[in-house]
Amino acid sequence: MGEKGGKGFSLNSNLGKSSTKSPLEASLTGKDDSTAKSKRGRKVQFNNGGLPEARLTSSLMSGGKADIPIAKGDLSKGGKGGRVLNGEKSAVPKPPAPLELRIEQELPKNAKCMMDCEAALILKGIQEQMVVLSEDPTIKIPLSFNKGLQYAQSSNCYASPQSVRRVLEPLSKYGVSDGEICVIANTCPETIDEVFALVPSLKPKWSTLREPLKDVLRELAELKHLNQSSNPEGSPGFS
Amino acid sequence: MFFHIVLERNMQLHPRHFGRHLRDNLVAKLVKDVEGTCSGRHGFVVAITGIENVGKGLIRDGTGFVTFPVKYQCVVFRPFKGEILEAVVTMVNKMGFFAEAGPVQIFVSNHLIPDDMEFQSGDMPNYTTSDGSVKIQKDSEVRLKIIGTRVDATEIFCIGTIKDDFLGVINDPVTS
Repeated sequence: MGEKGGKGFSLNSNLGKSSTKSPLEASLTGKDDSTAKSKRGRKVQFNNGGLPEARLTSSLMSGGKADIPIAKGDLSKGGKGGRVLNGEKSAVPKPPAPLELRIEQELPKNAKCMMDCEAALILKGIQEQMVVLSEDPTIKIPLSFNKGLQYAQSSNCYASPQSVRRVLEPLSKYGVSDGEICVIANTCPETIDEVFALVPSLKPKWSTLREPLKDVLRELAELKHLNQSSNPEGSPGFS
Repeated sequence: MFFHIVLERNMQLHPRHFGRHLRDNLVAKLVKDVEGTCSGRHGFVVAITGIENVGKGLIRDGTGFVTFPVKYQCVVFRPFKGEILEAVVTMVNKMGFFAEAGPVQIFVSNHLIPDDMEFQSGDMPNYTTSDGSVKIQKDSEVRLKIIGTRVDATEIFCIGTIKDDFLGVINDPVTS
């Protein structure tokens, strides 16, 4: 508030309204005059030209509020103004970039992404051991384990995680990360368009990945079909 | 998404657990303390798969407890922004719907549901298209994309969307 008052006083002094000020205001104005001058000088340097004077005048006429962001070097207003003054195109709001996976940046390097089918296999093995442990009333199986196992099994399209890993592994030499490979495996895509829609980080590599992905999707479809034919009740229904 | 990760934890053991079964007691305590917990960095610790290393114990001054540094392998579940998940709807209201994917809760706001789907109140509240061909209600399976995560003391909560291509209802419990 004090800052705004101070700047308002400096702007008022520029408009020649000093006669209505109190001594305190005048002293503040005096100080603010120098700061306003320095800010004006700063503005000229920031905007690189005589035009800022006109902008300053117009902003003063509008009450000075628009001036404050420029003085502060506000990017949203001053920056845009700078672009206009420099003759560049006005900022057009760009459509937001699609959200991309950033797994490797957030987890420690020793973390290994697992496909749902791999996790289901491991958790199933642990569950069999837990059956023995669950006879002990002091040991409680955590809820997250049951939920995790149920989720891994329900979203699993494939019988053999090793086969799926073998099919998807060649994609890594085209620059597809482990996390992206796991998303492809977990979503069981049917078309290349689906892959690029669900994993937008692969779009820059569209030309190099198109053909390898066709082969991979064909082999994954065969593995899914094998799983469905051997276990029709266990396989998830896809509409 | 599931991850297999090696974590380290300092376990404190009371002297009454010492003896020939010290390692078993240490592992049991680790399982009890860690499995089912949640952290912002690693997500939910779903299960411990093995013990990599148990370091030398250090006696704490004044208490007699011994601290052992334990490295262990575990399966964790952590959602990421931009990840595609298949979740089961647990509740539907006019603000959107809640869904569950493993131990993670996800909320999809009505702003992130396709515009041609409208909320229908009643005994079984749902979102339905104008022609009635697609319905999202309790127990429906939906494919969604995570757009935000929030970590609490004991759980991770996510915001999701079904407004993008190839997202939406997978399985309707009524027609399946």
